[in-house]
Amino acid sequence: MLEVRGLSLRYPNGKQALNNVDLTVRPGELVIVLGGNGSGKTTLLRCLTRTLTPTGGSVSVAGRDITALKGEELRQARTRLALISQHASLVKRRSVRANVASGALGHYTNFMTSIGRLPREELASAHRHLEEVGLEHLAGQRAGTLSGGQAQRVAIARALAQRPRAVLADEPVASLDPQAAEEIMQLLKRLAKDDNLAVLCVLHQVDLAYGHADRVVGIRDGQVAFDLPREELERERVSNLYLSEAA
Amino acid sequence: MTAYDERLRHGADPKPLSGASVERGLSGALQFTIAIAVIAMVVQSLYVIDARPQDLVTGFHGMVDIISRALPPDFSKFRSEIWPTLETIDIAIFGTVTGVILALPLAVLAASNVTPARWLYYVARGMISIARVVPDLVWALIFVAAVGLGPFPGALAVSVHSVGMLGRLFAEVIEQMDMAPVEALSLTGARRIQVFTHAVLPSVIPSLLGITLYRLDENIRSSLVLGFVGAGGIGFQLLTAMNLFQYQEVSLLLIIVFFVVLIAERGSAILRARLS
Repeated sequence: MLEVRGLSLRYPNGKQALNNVDLTVRPGELVIVLGGNGSGKTTLLRCLTRTLTPTGGSVSVAGRDITALKGEELRQARTRLALISQHASLVKRRSVRANVASGALGHYTNFMTSIGRLPREELASAHRHLEEVGLEHLAGQRAGTLSGGQAQRVAIARALAQRPRAVLADEPVASLDPQAAEEIMQLLKRLAKDDNLAVLCVLHQVDLAYGHADRVVGIRDGQVAFDLPREELERERVSNLYLSEAA
Repeated sequence: MTAYDERLRHGADPKPLSGASVERGLSGALQFTIAIAVIAMVVQSLYVIDARPQDLVTGFHGMVDIISRALPPDFSKFRSEIWPTLETIDIAIFGTVTGVILALPLAVLAASNVTPARWLYYVARGMISIARVVPDLVWALIFVAAVGLGPFPGALAVSVHSVGMLGRLFAEVIEQMDMAPVEALSLTGARRIQVFTHAVLPSVIPSLLGITLYRLDENIRSSLVLGFVGAGGIGFQLLTAMNLFQYQEVSLLLIIVFFVVLIAERGSAILRARLS
């Protein structure tokens, strides 16, 4: 479970980037966040991963408040929260298998992992995660040789290797063609159900949100404009999200 | 002659210059100023170094004399030159390996994108600068004074100078790397050292190896010269032979130097090409 309560962020220059955001993502649920440019979507994700420290409110992952954590506690908390970004951000010179297995490094403190070795059990698990994303046949290939869609699937497998309780995805299909984008969204939805993960995904593609979300959250000017099940969401409300941007 | 003068010369109306013409005129004036500055620099350098080209003509006979006395090379001494040659190569190998070992951690601290603390960045940059700006010949003089004559002070000198050169280049490579995989791994909860060994190092290692090979090539050249200040190797043999006017041995040593440098250069270039 991912719970956000009254989350706010005011920058030192006085700009209110997030204002009292409430949000809950339950295990097995895919929640999609929509909003125009500068509405606060990415800032929200950055507060959830604690790359930005919110100025108010709280973030809980699997019942643990991570809002005020620092140092070693924050590092440990991050192992429960996986982030899939717009670009897969793989280490291009390493194999696909090594990239996936490296997602689990946060669970290890031994010397061998500190000198660049990967635990044998994680390399074996990497195969299982690659099977889940349909890329087990590319395990030994260099990550730099993958297509955009394949790289994004590997990033998802890496997120699974992390053994997270919640997954955040920041525009994971922004640089993909429509078919690859559809496949990635199907994969995220399946993982939410099969692995009982809380998945929060920021998107710009409204049609994908209608096609895959369990719930859709609209963000505008740093505030939640709506939080509705997909079936109850009217197109007009979504269009209104982008009005101020168009104006 | 400016474009404006040219137009007047061909009977054109003396209209005001357009913006583009003014620019061309300015650029011409600028070019003229630069040319004058360059000539002035060259002239002052000739004055300061007290250049006497005529001495080359009068000294020509002396040069011919030395060359004639250096031929043919004394190949009977080849066997006795093998050990100093090996010393020269090993000074470079030792200097490069220890240079890499010391430069890598310093480079990490001196790379603004991965340094753990700002003050460490400045300390590391300072150490790298000191090691780099002091020439290896000066380091050799210092180490000869400290540990005596022989190849060891030469190896230490090459090592310290390599820390400076490699540290700076390694830090630049790390600063220019794609940080997205580093940030992605940090956010999985991996420790700082794990992020370094699993994301930073695999990304930069081909570049670091290329730089190291180039440095080894450079260090072989440096270690040839270090012998002149008593730091062992083939340079020391060369100095001794010249002081004793044994020019046939000098020519043999120069042939050895030529092949050592050539092999090091080609070997380094081939390996670097394979890496890239």
